[in-house]
Amino acid sequence: MKHLIHTLNKAFDNRVRLGVMAVLMANEVVSFTELKEALDLTDGNLASHVAALEKAGYVSVSKQFVGKKPNTTYSASKEGKTAFQEHLATLEKLLRG
Amino acid sequence: MAQPTPDPLAQLTEIRAIMERSSRFISLSGLAGVGAGLVALAGAGFGHWYLNRLYPYAGYLGLLESSAAERRAVLPFLLLLAAGIVVVALLVATFFTVRRARRNGQPLWSALGRRLAVSLAIPLVSGGLFCIALYLDGAVALVVPGMLLFYGLALLNASKYTLDEIRWLGLTVIGLGLVAMLIPGLGLLFFALGFGLGHIGYGLLMYNRYER
Repeated sequence: MKHLIHTLNKAFDNRVRLGVMAVLMANEVVSFTELKEALDLTDGNLASHVAALEKAGYVSVSKQFVGKKPNTTYSASKEGKTAFQEHLATLEKLLRG
Repeated sequence: MAQPTPDPLAQLTEIRAIMERSSRFISLSGLAGVGAGLVALAGAGFGHWYLNRLYPYAGYLGLLESSAAERRAVLPFLLLLAAGIVVVALLVATFFTVRRARRNGQPLWSALGRRLAVSLAIPLVSGGLFCIALYLDGAVALVVPGMLLFYGLALLNASKYTLDEIRWLGLTVIGLGLVAMLIPGLGLLFFALGFGLGHIGYGLLMYNRYER
């Protein structure tokens, strides 16, 4: 039991980061605003956690301009998807005890 | 911020809820379906009454055999009737859906709501234009089956962003459209079945399942 808990991915320790990954697993491409709406967060809070996930290589970011407005979209990277699925599998194992 | 002993069940439940909430528009109310269905039934009844006055004894069948000039003369009435049904049904459906979203504290005009609206609108608008062309071209018997088929496909297309019942309503409406295609004389009846009873039936089902 104890051993399994230590295998849980540290990147998903935080509720916000876990939430961001959950949204990106359910939707291919998500804008910053959509993420904010889905998780009911403030700009700053979300930005710092997304940056952490980006640094870990779990989230890929693409910045475009729609007219003159910057539009940033996020999607889960291949590593991010694998890591998240492993995290889910570990959680399930923990549940079964 | 770190959680030394994470509760796996709570985490899994939350992940599930977030994935569901972020990919599906769940504020759609069953009562919206019931209301829209009643409006469609009233519209079909009014259409029936009008056509019976226009073509005594024949009614809808009279329209099927009308000349091109007659069809053009009736077109404004039919377009107004259709637009009236759509506008009133949308108002009723929006009212109940806004009410439900407010009660659950969910945003209504979210990115998801927009995506749902667009995925419904594209097949619906193109189907509507196609049905007007069918009508003017003389294929009057194919208009109601066409409306049902395009509406069913629109629902099927939009169902990936909302409750699963919408997919079943879409498939039901497509089935009715195909049957209506084989029985050309009963267009108005199939209109009432698909747009009226279909909405009411699935609306009641959704209401019972999620809102009681």
